[in-house]
Amino acid sequence: MIYFYDGSETAFLTAFVLSYRDEQATLVSGNAQLSLGQETVFVRADETSAARARERLLRYDKDCMHDLSMLLRSGDPERDRAALGYFRLIAKKKCPVRGMFAEPAVIETDTCLRRIGTELEHLRGFVRFLVCESGALYAPISPDHDIADLLLPHFRARLPLFPFAIHDVRRKKAAVYDGKNSFVAPLDRAEVILSADEENWKELWKDYYRSVNIPSRERLKQMRGYMPVRYWKFMPEKSL
Amino acid sequence: MFVLYNTGMITEQKLRILTEAAKFDVSCSSSGSDRRNEGGIGNAAANGCCHSFTPDGRCISLLKILLSNDCVFDCKYCRNRVSSDTPRATATPDEICELVIEFYKRNYIEGLFLSSSVFVSPDHTMEQLLLTAKKLRTEYNFHGYLHVKGIPRADPRLVHETALYADRMSYNIELPSERSLRLLAPQKSRESLLLPMKDLQLSKIAFKEEKRKGKFLPAGQTTQMIVGATPETDGTILRLSQSLYRVNGLKRVYYSSYVPVVHDPLLPEKAAGEVREHRLYQADWLLRFYGFSAEELVGEEGNLSLETDPKCAWALRNMQLFPVEVNRAPLEMLLRVPGIGARSAYKITEARRYTTLRFEDLKRMRVVLKRAKHFLTADGKFYGEKREQAVRSLLAEGKPEQLSLFSDRETVFSALTGEL
Ligand code: SF4
Repeated sequence: MIYFYDGSETAFLTAFVLSYRDEQATLVSGNAQLSLGQETVFVRADETSAARARERLLRYDKDCMHDLSMLLRSGDPERDRAALGYFRLIAKKKCPVRGMFAEPAVIETDTCLRRIGTELEHLRGFVRFLVCESGALYAPISPDHDIADLLLPHFRARLPLFPFAIHDVRRKKAAVYDGKNSFVAPLDRAEVILSADEENWKELWKDYYRSVNIPSRERLKQMRGYMPVRYWKFMPEKSL
Repeated sequence: MFVLYNTGMITEQKLRILTEAAKFDVSCSSSGSDRRNEGGIGNAAANGCCHSFTPDGRCISLLKILLSNDCVFDCKYCRNRVSSDTPRATATPDEICELVIEFYKRNYIEGLFLSSSVFVSPDHTMEQLLLTAKKLRTEYNFHGYLHVKGIPRADPRLVHETALYADRMSYNIELPSERSLRLLAPQKSRESLLLPMKDLQLSKIAFKEEKRKGKFLPAGQTTQMIVGATPETDGTILRLSQSLYRVNGLKRVYYSSYVPVVHDPLLPEKAAGEVREHRLYQADWLLRFYGFSAEELVGEEGNLSLETDPKCAWALRNMQLFPVEVNRAPLEMLLRVPGIGARSAYKITEARRYTTLRFEDLKRMRVVLKRAKHFLTADGKFYGEKREQAVRSLLAEGKPEQLSLFSDRETVFSALTGEL
């Protein structure tokens, strides 16, 4: 049976309970293609059932809900299978399973979580702010995983004097710091008026990028490995 | 209406001259500090961060720039030496500060790596570096990462004061022996480089003991050596590095393979091989994190093998210690197995607490066994090649792989050992 849910934590836990005795269960969220001919249940989030599951799982592993909230940010196609397997294993072993790397579900979960961690690390470096006329900063991003808000604390600690918005253009939402508080808000398109010298600084940066390169040692493969092409779009030194 | 242009903006041409000249300095990393934001701009995270990568595969973390390239010294290997005919530029402290702030705000960089040729005199240069560091911290309120190069033969008081503003300072050893130094960098001497290092090290210790307010080089000191311009062996170089780590408390030694930018009868015409530089970094890595000593890796007069990485080469010389059993071998030994890195070693030590590991388990755990299988047993079973010769040929690499794993990113490592 296929259990279709909306990707929220409550719906996941509801689906987890519903599918618990079903050995063949597949969890699906997002806009996955549903293959015809398979029996499908659309799971409606049920707060009571989710709360019960949450409480029980937390008894076995007090940190597991953190894993879940991270997993649900993942844009990987395997993440639903990984999450289901991981939480089933916790329920079965009745203890934290994080270190049981010989279990396929643990490795899969670990991989999903590490990919999110890697993207976070990447974006801490690759986010590019544009300086607006007002002095505020604006950075469009298009990450694989839903992590815009996880970037907030990092930039808030660095740039406390500047209001800023990190705009996930794919998911149409923005992580915002208004100079005092941070929050997440839906945002479709942003209108920004750039500061007068924004272009000049951008050009200087591109100059810098060109002049630190050592052309006789070209290693494009390595560059792409460290800085995947999908991030280039918003980086002035790489976009055309 | 009139547009008020910021008068401090550095010109493109100046930027180009001053960064071109700085780019061969390899120490890009910005890690090891923990400067918090105190109501200004920026902080320095404990783990470095790469903001971009250039087509040569190197990480851009810091704005790496010279204050001036107008040098009065005459090091033979250097394009900025007094006798060379090259365009000259000198930036003002404010030009540098503004550039840093504007780049940092846009998240282009993690901080500044400020170096300089010796312009006018060592003292004058150090004064200007100090002034820039001080302005950046106090007037521009910048709390991001700051690495300042020390100028040999400058007044120690200036150096000392600079250390109160910088996260890290470095004196470059440049060449691995006094003899080479005398030949190629006549105004420098081993002493003029090692003494200030020692000085800073002692001051840092005193600073800590006196529990004084503020910071004194929280990210310590580093240095750099040019490899391949002179005849020193890898054995000599690694012994020097080892003593710099152990005795001088250095945080990192960088190796820069020689690139001919000038012609001189005393210098080789060809660039030194990058494979050699790569092997030195691997060996250095083993010194710092895997518990190896220089003596284990290579004889004093010897060079590292270019075909085999240093860990593999060590294992092949010590076949009597292998195979080790994954379920029992201590972490230190697992780390010495060719092909097993920090991450795999960690996974193994975790997983074996719950179950006895077999080869299938290792595979499932995505431990790469291509090489490791010759040195391991899992639950008593061995799947590797028995005869040493077969192992040897198996391991000889056609071309150096894994360049990426060991290149200049401390972040890669810290990401791994955070969990160890
Ligand atoms: S001191 Fe030597 S290495 Fe440094 S810039 Fe001057 S000539 Fe070049």
